Amino acid sequence: MFRIEADRARFREIVRGKIRSDLAKYLSTSELIARQGAHAVSVPVPQIELPQFCFGENERGGVGQGPGERGEELEGEGAGQEGAGAAGDGLGQHLLEVEVELDELAEMLGRELELPRIEPKGKRMLLSDGGRYSDVSNSGPDSLRHFRRSYRQALKRTIAAGLWDPAAPRVEPVREDFRYRARRVTPTPESSAVVIHMMDVSGSMGREQKEIVRIEAFWIDTWLRSQYHNLEVVYIVHDAAAKVVDHDSFFHLRESGGTKISSAYELCLQLIREKHRPEDWNIYPFHYSDGDNWSARDTEKCIALLRDELLPRVNQFCYGQVKSAYGSGQFKKDLDDALGADGRVVTVSVSERSDIQRAIRAFLGKGR
Amino acid sequence: MAAPARSSSRLPSELANWAARIERAAREHGLDFFPVQFELLDASDVNGLAAYGGFPVRYPSWRFGMEFERLDKGYHWGLSKIYELVINNDPVIAYLVRSNSTLEQKLVMAHVFGHADFFRHNCWFASTERHMLDRMAAHATTVRRHIDRVGLERVERFLDLALSLENLLDPYLPLRQRLRDGAERPGAPALPEGSTPTFDVLGFLCAHAPLGPWQRELLGIVRDEAYYFQPQRMTKIMNEGWATFWHSRILTGGVLEASEIVEFADCHSGATATAPGRLNPYKLGIELWRHADRRGEDLMRLRRVHDDASLIDELVDEEFVASQKMFAYGRNARSGKAEVEGRDARTIKERLLTQLAWGGLPRIELAGVDAGGELRLEHRHDGRDLQLERAKETLRRVDELWRAGAVLETRVEGARRRLVARGGEVRVEELDEARAPTRAP
Repeated sequence: MFRIEADRARFREIVRGKIRSDLAKYLSTSELIARQGAHAVSVPVPQIELPQFCFGENERGGVGQGPGERGEELEGEGAGQEGAGAAGDGLGQHLLEVEVELDELAEMLGRELELPRIEPKGKRMLLSDGGRYSDVSNSGPDSLRHFRRSYRQALKRTIAAGLWDPAAPRVEPVREDFRYRARRVTPTPESSAVVIHMMDVSGSMGREQKEIVRIEAFWIDTWLRSQYHNLEVVYIVHDAAAKVVDHDSFFHLRESGGTKISSAYELCLQLIREKHRPEDWNIYPFHYSDGDNWSARDTEKCIALLRDELLPRVNQFCYGQVKSAYGSGQFKKDLDDALGADGRVVTVSVSERSDIQRAIRAFLGKGR
Repeated sequence: MAAPARSSSRLPSELANWAARIERAAREHGLDFFPVQFELLDASDVNGLAAYGGFPVRYPSWRFGMEFERLDKGYHWGLSKIYELVINNDPVIAYLVRSNSTLEQKLVMAHVFGHADFFRHNCWFASTERHMLDRMAAHATTVRRHIDRVGLERVERFLDLALSLENLLDPYLPLRQRLRDGAERPGAPALPEGSTPTFDVLGFLCAHAPLGPWQRELLGIVRDEAYYFQPQRMTKIMNEGWATFWHSRILTGGVLEASEIVEFADCHSGATATAPGRLNPYKLGIELWRHADRRGEDLMRLRRVHDDASLIDELVDEEFVASQKMFAYGRNARSGKAEVEGRDARTIKERLLTQLAWGGLPRIELAGVDAGGELRLEHRHDGRDLQLERAKETLRRVDELWRAGAVLETRVEGARRRLVARGGEVRVEELDEARAPTRAP
């Protein structure tokens, strides 16, 4: 009814532009993650202000009404902000929340990091476009008009209307009678993907390390979700043993004790074998740890698992090594030495939040 | 006299009857107004209208969209709700929210008649455009035409520039011009003929800045609307007080049914509630009028000749300060918290007057154009510094319009400073105390 909706749309467009240009900032904070709904995140943005000449900080206090002795503190914020009718038209630093669709956020991310679209693997995708004109439709170009079907339609209508005269068998088609050849749309098999986030939750992984993982996982999921019709996310945590957990526990669970990375890889393999078969799924295992493994022997086991079992089944395997006060970072070196030449393996080390952007680009930059 | 309100046809009969009855009561009390047209709306639509300042049609701007977003979210989360929305126009347009109770509607109606009387008779409103509804719609058409011609981005960008400067006007100019010329020319004052000094910086820029025709027209629109809204800033307290004073008097003078008294008291006290450190214009306003009434003043005369500052100057005395439990507060330098400083009537009155003078805005005068073509602005410092970062950014925009450099003289923490904007850059220079004449605060 009002044109105000158009103004609101324009405002939101401007805000999106701002979010886009500030995306680097959002990439290193968890600000958006807590605000994620099913299809959108609400992004807090400062009100955009038009600068005007106005009074600053040393405005000499104000006048109020009510009880209170000299020197008594005023309750509540806003004291000193809005004096008597001082034309404070709400120019303060109000935060507004603006909803941004997850798809749109992914698009911003893709543009900011110049991520290539993912080429889905598997021959299945080649069938996705049915190219044969074997269907019939009510509309189309004259060159595709289906004479027999059009005639039949006209005949049926003529008979039904009681106009059919066997003595003078005239059939006059009208516009509604025409039928056209059309391309049959073959329903494409849905392209599905599964992300398997594995995280080391042994004693050496601290709060900050987990926060970094959380931020990375958020953006990875956001991007992959925009690339596939259907995305499932599985969380595995491990110390010396591995288990599947839900989203919340994944980020908050803290175990102590040793680290046996192979336990996670084995569980991951088991999941792939049982639930997420490579014929039907695009598979993305991500593993995050601070790079300390129990023993060199376990590392060898991990490498063998990856090389022989996991890598042939997955689109890409990503390892993010988060720097912690205790971790030696040996695991990344071992992985690189053994599998660094394999294009399906991406390893990245992250020492602080500002590295997250680089890590995401490395993980998703291959378009696999 | 004035035609009867055209409200009845648009409202359901119960409300229409109340509108007619309350209008009669208002007239019996001596209020006099242009016809009042009530519109019944859903709450969600009221937010849209409020974002447009009450006008159904405004030019396209993201700023209105942002305001709408804010109001809509506030309403959605139950933080805020708009009760009354009334615009100064002939006929006066006022909105009633469908979801309000009958009592609330009555209260709003009585309140609106108070505003309507004030709009018509307060001298500061005398030269406002009374067909602003049409004028706003015409502005919208003009802006849309320019958008079609030069593109949204350029128009938007220029409007943003212009709106940054909408404060730079002379609130007293319309009345002065009217008294001088005796002319019944409604709307913004005539453009100055290059005469400086002037506070009407917007007008000066309209007349003399090197602008293209469409830019000049847009700047004129911004100025026109700014002058239209200015009297409302200058009379916020007395206007709200006047409307509150009369809604109370009209409703309790026979319009309310006995069963409604409690709900009325609840509603009324909600509107006039005070919080520490915040002056509620409804509360301060109604108390001023009651005080004047007790002193036996001629209320109708006072509402005609004053603005907020002059009314407070006339009415606030020790008795008022004491009975209203008024206090002065300030920020404690050590704790950073606001605290009560004292209850001295003189200080309090001084504070109020400083805050309200000049519509609550910094006084910024265009002193002239220098030989080099620079625009020279002077901030009449009254002890309150400008917010420096915003001042710099605003000055940069002045220069963007003027294109030959802009200078603003002000004081920062007691020391004289000169802000110089040229070619997109702004720098702050110290001013020699001895050389330049100081101006009394």
